[in-house]
Amino acid sequence: MNFDSVIELKSLARHYEVGGEYVKALDGVDLKIGRGEYLSLVGPSGSGKTTLFNMIGGLDRPTTGSVWIDGVDISKLDAYELAWLRCRRIGYIFQNFNLITVLTAQENVALPTVFAGLSRDDGIAKAAKLLRSVGLGERLNHKPTQLSAGQQQRVAIARALANDPAIILADEPTGNLDLKTGTEIIDLLHGLNKTRGLTLVAATHDTKMITASDRVVWMRDGRIEKIERG
Amino acid sequence: MSHERGNVHFSFSDAFKLAISYLERRRDRSLLNIASISLGLSFFTTLLLTDTFYQTFMVMGGGNLTVDQTYYWLVIIALAVSVVGITNAMLISVYERIREIGTMKCIGALDKHIILLFLVEAVLQGALGGFFGILFGTLAALLTTGSTTGFDIILKVNPMKLLTLYASSVILAIFLSTIATMYPAYRASKLDPVEALRYEL
Repeated sequence: MNFDSVIELKSLARHYEVGGEYVKALDGVDLKIGRGEYLSLVGPSGSGKTTLFNMIGGLDRPTTGSVWIDGVDISKLDAYELAWLRCRRIGYIFQNFNLITVLTAQENVALPTVFAGLSRDDGIAKAAKLLRSVGLGERLNHKPTQLSAGQQQRVAIARALANDPAIILADEPTGNLDLKTGTEIIDLLHGLNKTRGLTLVAATHDTKMITASDRVVWMRDGRIEKIERG
Repeated sequence: MSHERGNVHFSFSDAFKLAISYLERRRDRSLLNIASISLGLSFFTTLLLTDTFYQTFMVMGGGNLTVDQTYYWLVIIALAVSVVGITNAMLISVYERIREIGTMKCIGALDKHIILLFLVEAVLQGALGGFFGILFGTLAALLTTGSTTGFDIILKVNPMKLLTLYASSVILAIFLSTIATMYPAYRASKLDPVEALRYEL
């Protein structure tokens, strides 16, 4: 088999207890995501989509089963190792951008490189290069509040790329954008997926995003309902 | 930390720069915190300075004057009140930035980096509060004692003694501000990134 999987989920389950009630947010999920694949996670709210997304990002721990990233079982990692993984291997993109409001676009993009131990000058230079590559070369010193929603998401994408991760996790990246801006962001992400060989996992409702992806995973009641080719 | 485990760096100067940005951004609340420290501290400085002035005055043969001991209790209460006030303000600040803290954790920040960020802020606030505290405290001490001891009494005090008094006031301010911020900083560092990102203001 030449399917080179970068993410592998093995009988993954996550149970919560909310107000005395037992909730199976994930109830036995098996999935392999290939290197350079563009995968969409689709499902109604409460389907376990977000929980699955957080599991892959090392933000949540499984009740049973395991999450393998690059051949490492991340549920076995300690807080330091998880922070390292989040810092170097995974880039996050959120629905509401989540930029640090007191920092400029360039400083926002440089922040992950600071955590990764790059020198301030190198980080700032790299941030400028990344912002140029997402079409924001003229906006380096703008604060997030001085940027449009689409521009803020571009800054967030540049930030996600700051430490050259293998995986980009995008949680409803077009959810707060109008149709035209959303399409531009999808094109940008799709382009990065193709040119850089980045593995892109996106939780989304956006039909445009779903159509662009290689595979679509439909979630329902904490299980994979079906997997379709995009 | 060994290299296989990977290193996550965040230097003091990075924390310093971010903390200054936060202080500027939330200027009103920062100023209130600084005012709170400087008020408590100016009372403290006034008291110690008045005592020093009286002693100097006495040595110069001006007569026997003392500071009412009950004031020392009052100053302890004033300082405690400002500590509680800062803790409250910093806790609000944690919840104001909850999403940013969650984001930082997502992009690789460790608990200790979040703590460092808040403590640097506390030290800066404490230092500024201490500075204004000794300024107002000196003015108040001169205004209350000047009519009996003469306003030039401050020039007659042993300069080393004056310097020690000022230095200990500023150190006390930084110490109290840090103490007040420890619990909010701990709370911030222990935030679950998933919960923090979901939080809506």
